[in-house]
Amino acid sequence: MVNERVVTLSIPALPEYVDLVRLTLYGIATKLKFTFEEIEDMKVAVSEACNNAVLHAYGDLSGNIEVTFQTLGEELIITVKDFGKSFVVDESKEAPVMHGKEIDEIQSGGLGLYLMQALMDRVEVKQDGGTAVTLSKKRPASEETA
Amino acid sequence: MPMEKLSLRTEHAEDRTIVHIGGEFDLEAASRMRAALNSLIEQADRRITLDIQQLKYIDSTGIGILISLAKALHARNVSFDVVHIPSHIRKLFDMTGITPFLTKPESLI
Repeated sequence: MVNERVVTLSIPALPEYVDLVRLTLYGIATKLKFTFEEIEDMKVAVSEACNNAVLHAYGDLSGNIEVTFQTLGEELIITVKDFGKSFVVDESKEAPVMHGKEIDEIQSGGLGLYLMQALMDRVEVKQDGGTAVTLSKKRPASEETA
Repeated sequence: MPMEKLSLRTEHAEDRTIVHIGGEFDLEAASRMRAALNSLIEQADRRITLDIQQLKYIDSTGIGILISLAKALHARNVSFDVVHIPSHIRKLFDMTGITPFLTKPESLI
């Protein structure tokens, strides 16, 4: 049987609360023995998902973001869900990266989804009464506890 | 992992202005950083270096602001570079392709 464990955090959809999600992630990922580099990668990816919700989900209204950290087998699955209006996440759009471009051609926005996809093993976006972004990363094979 | 708010310190060196950025450069810090960097752009009359040795965290919000800064200074012909880039932040710069706009050969000196 796969041992499933869940931690849930609900924060106001405001910029000054996103660091609480990073702190919680740090605590959980450390327990799961992720490396420093993997934790840094996940911190950025999860913050990007939260930033999107903070910026786009509720407009001028207030609302909450629910973040679920689920350990399933060797995988940490993080879901960032809001309950506001769905915003367009165009996964097919070309990544707005700057490789091989001149400074006059580069754009300063739209890197969030690209970074999530580059930093996590799997990214899923579902829109149904709000937006839910699910980010997954396999934890390292544990040698000590084997 | 203590939470570190963004810190900013400006140093006027002989040949350039050095801005030391530390802590977390995230969405929460964005408006403060935009304001600080805009005033830097307006006053830019000589080379500008960002020293990010103490920067603990950056996300796409911070990267976007750095891109805007690089573009604005380039348009004004002000030399600009970023030095002491921590490795986990360098990884994000490389991933997004921003590195060549932030580091110049002379920054190795």
